[in-house]
Amino acid sequence: MIAQQIINAVSLGGVYALLALGLAIVFSIVGLINFAHGELMTLSGYALLAALVFGLPFPLAVLVAVSCGALAAVAMERVAFRPMRDASVTSLLLTSFAVSSLLKVVFQNGISARPQAVAMPGWMTGAFSFGDFTIGVGPSISIVVSALALIALELFLRRTVTGTAMRAAAEDFNVVRLMGIPASRIIATAFLLSGLLAGLAAMLWVAQRASVDPLMGFTPVLKAFIAAVVGGLGSLPGAVAGGFLLGIIEVLLQATLPAAVAPYRDAIVLSGVIAVLLVRPQGLIPAVRVQRS
Amino acid sequence: MPTLYCLHRAALYAAVFGIAAVSTARAEEIIIGAATAQTGGLAPYDQPALAGLRMAFDELNAKGGLAGKYTVKLVIKDTRSDTAQTATVAQELIDAGAKIMITPCDADPSISAGQLTQPLGIPTLTLCGSAPVLTAAVGDVMFGTYPADNVQATAVADFAISEGKKKVFLLTSPDSTYTANLPEYFGKVFEKKGGAIAGRGTYTMGQPDFSAEITNIKGLADQPDLIMTAAYEPDFPAFIQQLRGAGVTIPVYGADAIGTPTIKGLGKLVDGVVYTAAGYAEPGSKLEAFNAAFTKYAGHAPESTYEVNGYEIGLILDQAVKTAGSDDPKAVRDAIAGLKDFEGITGKITYAGTDRMPLRPVALMRYEGGEGKHIQTMIPDAADVPAP
Repeated sequence: MIAQQIINAVSLGGVYALLALGLAIVFSIVGLINFAHGELMTLSGYALLAALVFGLPFPLAVLVAVSCGALAAVAMERVAFRPMRDASVTSLLLTSFAVSSLLKVVFQNGISARPQAVAMPGWMTGAFSFGDFTIGVGPSISIVVSALALIALELFLRRTVTGTAMRAAAEDFNVVRLMGIPASRIIATAFLLSGLLAGLAAMLWVAQRASVDPLMGFTPVLKAFIAAVVGGLGSLPGAVAGGFLLGIIEVLLQATLPAAVAPYRDAIVLSGVIAVLLVRPQGLIPAVRVQRS
Repeated sequence: MPTLYCLHRAALYAAVFGIAAVSTARAEEIIIGAATAQTGGLAPYDQPALAGLRMAFDELNAKGGLAGKYTVKLVIKDTRSDTAQTATVAQELIDAGAKIMITPCDADPSISAGQLTQPLGIPTLTLCGSAPVLTAAVGDVMFGTYPADNVQATAVADFAISEGKKKVFLLTSPDSTYTANLPEYFGKVFEKKGGAIAGRGTYTMGQPDFSAEITNIKGLADQPDLIMTAAYEPDFPAFIQQLRGAGVTIPVYGADAIGTPTIKGLGKLVDGVVYTAAGYAEPGSKLEAFNAAFTKYAGHAPESTYEVNGYEIGLILDQAVKTAGSDDPKAVRDAIAGLKDFEGITGKITYAGTDRMPLRPVALMRYEGGEGKHIQTMIPDAADVPAP
């Protein structure tokens, strides 16, 4: 049973890590915590639903949904954040809240306030036995996808010119621009990556929840924010560490707390976050250059 | 001077007659305030119920209004599914002159609105809030309309016992009265009738991950043969998806909040899930006729029995104003509280002798192959229903 709970923890932590990474990539470049990140997930969720309704085969539908998330992120940057390029961090933050609220209302009034059921293929609710414990297909996919996404991102950042430029931009954007690399391309790529991660996380999220609703982005973006802060704002390894830490703590508390204390689970998790920040104010793995906040 | 005097007098007459004219117009109109969620988590419940209510008022207004003479002016304001916002909106509606208040499908916002209407004596009806503590928490102006949680839970427990279920796992969430108490009412009846509680678990509403709770269920030495929960959207789909995903096949029973198109849309995943409704449209029944009429009115079929419940609120108010003979809030309140065996659409509705939570039938339903199948309709024995 302990092994089972560890799998649960890693599976949830992986999703949180993907989410936190999406926030951290954008923050490391533009210094913006994009609170509309959750709505990118919602959008991907609805795109999956629409693709399935139109009869696309499941893998294709997932592809469409993830691309929708990525494109929406780029569009969001183009429409809402680029005009605010030189604005203060506070203005950017408020803009992201505005985009988030706007999209929520559009989803509620344009689609439905009611959650829509997403019929996941039968094999995803299956389970296979491994030794004396059963592993669900869902959590396994979750773990594999998170791991692959993290590796792919790492390769992209290490092995490509754009990736290198992005890492450099996170340390000192002005110098990167002096090297002749267009700022807009770096920023757009950051949003594209964050949208891709949001889309992937949305697929894993929806696979576990079997429905999409207009407000579904709120909890994940909150968790991602917490994970990113614990890990060290703007630090990509930090975001991954923070995501896994948050997932593991949540599952372990859920598994071990006696019923009488269980309702205080979130309070205990957040107290833990405060404790971490007291000891390491810059997070677990601080960013190389700490951004203004 | 005389000219001026005349003018004054003319102005005075005009003012007096003007007021008189306005007040006669007002006397024929009754403002009903609806503080309901158009957005947020409660919207999927409030909106269908409100659609039923509007249909009732439209039909009544075509016949002259409540009791044939008080044209209903329904003023709707959005609570955004927020308890504090519900109080704000309720105050605005009171200021707008509401003589009857309609509140959301949940105990907590309904209580917050009730705190404002109670001192003013304005009759207040919740659309489908079903927590039996709701009416006592406010006072004598507050009325439930949907079958109460303890009544629903008793019906489901009676059914589970009749099926031979022995051990239940209760999954609750302390985040709302409904999710916290309904499974516990079930547990009380179930134990009293010979069943046992094999374990308890909790979740936070909106929680992404149920895997730890599910692993706990799998690890129970004494495996339950039933899981009872009042979780609804989006928690219920998440729970059952992850439960079945972990290879657990124990049946899951719930209550009215999972009788929705979203849950039905889960298809095979929810096969065997038992839930409740305010009624079942048997061929030739009044409910079947209502469903047809509603489809014509709204352009789509009712999603659940919340529509008919909303419609019945309109009928209850019409009857109450008739009995009261006026739109005086106090008289209307007394008339609702005295209703006995009122013929609604789903069956007989009685308030007399209750704590303002109505006695009315509960329909037990079960999902099979993506459809809600009717099991039976019953009014549980009052002696079995646990105290709120």
